[in-house]
Amino acid sequence: MTDLPSVQRNGVVIDQTFAEAFPMKATRIVITAHTLEWARHAAVSATGFATSVIACGCEAGIERELGPHETPDGRPGVNVLIFSMSGKELGKQLERRVGQCVLTCPTTAVFAGLPRTAGGDVAALGKNLRFFGDGWQISKVIDGVRYWRVPVMDGEFVAQEDTPVVKAVGGGNLLLLARDTDGALAAAEAAVAAMKRLPNVVMPFPGGVVRSGSKVGSRYANLNASTNDAFCPSLVGLVPHSELASNGGAHAQQIGCVMEIVIDGLTEADVAAAMRVGMEAAIGVGPAGGLLRISAGNYGGKLGPFHFHLHELLGAGDAA
Amino acid sequence: MSGWNLRLRQVPALRVDLRGVTPSALAGLSAAQVEQLPVGHGNEMLALAELFNIAPGKEEGALRFEGDLERFDRIGWQMDAGRIRVEGHAGHYAGGCMRGGELRIEGRAGLLVACEMAGGTIDVKGDVGDFAGSTLPGSMDGMRGGIFVVHGNAGERFGDRMRRGTALVHGGAGAFLGSRMVAGTIAVGGSVGAHAGYGMRRGSIVFAEARAALPEGTRSAPTFVPNRAATPVFWALLARDLARHGGLFSDLPMRRIERHLGDLSADGKGELIVCL
Repeated sequence: MTDLPSVQRNGVVIDQTFAEAFPMKATRIVITAHTLEWARHAAVSATGFATSVIACGCEAGIERELGPHETPDGRPGVNVLIFSMSGKELGKQLERRVGQCVLTCPTTAVFAGLPRTAGGDVAALGKNLRFFGDGWQISKVIDGVRYWRVPVMDGEFVAQEDTPVVKAVGGGNLLLLARDTDGALAAAEAAVAAMKRLPNVVMPFPGGVVRSGSKVGSRYANLNASTNDAFCPSLVGLVPHSELASNGGAHAQQIGCVMEIVIDGLTEADVAAAMRVGMEAAIGVGPAGGLLRISAGNYGGKLGPFHFHLHELLGAGDAA
Repeated sequence: MSGWNLRLRQVPALRVDLRGVTPSALAGLSAAQVEQLPVGHGNEMLALAELFNIAPGKEEGALRFEGDLERFDRIGWQMDAGRIRVEGHAGHYAGGCMRGGELRIEGRAGLLVACEMAGGTIDVKGDVGDFAGSTLPGSMDGMRGGIFVVHGNAGERFGDRMRRGTALVHGGAGAFLGSRMVAGTIAVGGSVGAHAGYGMRRGSIVFAEARAALPEGTRSAPTFVPNRAATPVFWALLARDLARHGGLFSDLPMRRIERHLGDLSADGKGELIVCL
């Protein structure tokens, strides 16, 4: 990729490359509670340890917070997006996470957050959790939607029967190559803040940022992913294909820290939009803030069918 | 599917059974075929045209009956789609076993309206007789789905053995409201006779009248117990849905509730909800 032409914006080099993403299954759930704080507690717990499907089973994050006028029960709430590699795994993760983190959290209720389509896939929400009620659970159909009322010690836990599952896109990404840790964090934080303002996407890693970007495969047979050595500043001079060595294009030798942002979205367009605003925000940080170059994780087409070309996203003709 | 207007020629001498005269059954029939449709009159069969002046209607898939149809039973019986509008009163079993579509009755309706209804919407502007939204004699389940709205008053045994769906009475209701109810929702605006919720296993009966007391025989009944747990989520969902029907129900989302659980002699998971 380093031999290909690159463009610059605000002094930041944008590699002529693309982020390679893969298909996932996703759903959105709405968690409400007596106060926003308790809805947040539930959502944070439910999306914990959900950074990468490599070992977590799902990738999840808080999409946004909701006012009382936006939720089914008129209480404050939180939208959560959960992505998995299959509908079956998504259902398993939902049941575990909602059961352990939402059912248990004071005053919460949980609803489907996506519109239902005729014949579309669904995953169980309250359908199996109802058995916690030990026979005292009650089904209630309101306006054609089935809810379960499970008696709990603060009253009752209300959960919608199921939630629609849709095809989605996982693994959109940006690599932010900076002079040092401060510069990389500043660019990453700016990008994540801009992306969080968009709907239908989450950045599942801690704070939206991942420092252990990976490549496909490993020298160890039992690992299917390993460190992205081409972008590890600590391996410059050791890795023949390093992106940060003298043959790595402009600024290559000045780069001391790289951060990645991973984006999961409900559609290809959602991921593209998030990558675009993320790049623009990071470019705003510029070399003055320490950001020197933006690249993306490209695995030679081995990972997935969705390719997000950085120059196209930015409109390369405008780049200067 | 085309529409038809049916204007009553004169009140028949005997009761007429209108089962089979539904939008789906009439779809694709010519005017001559519609006029020759057989309907029961006492123990004989008459052609539909002997009872009604029949003309094509403007509204696609809609039947409009004009006149006093109090002697006409089973209007909309087993209806599954389309719309029927009765511009007058209706007889017994109106909307019985209905599975879909919309039945509107501008006047009052007789006994067993919406009995074993499973889907669609029934809207009665006037009063309904006994056993509305209930079960047919000998059946296990009453109303099984759909929305049933009565703007007037209801007779006794409203929603007997009801299993699913939503039934609203803007006026009052007679004794044994929601008796032997299995599930579903009944909401009543006016006063209610004795023994509401008798033998109910699950389901919700909402008394919307401001400061409504529990019906006679319920508060004193040892088979219902007051419940003090907060159920704001369930109530918000249900109250918002009921509020769509206006009238006394329109301010339900803003009202506090008091719940009584029972009937403990059955399964004890039903609830009587009094809006404060």
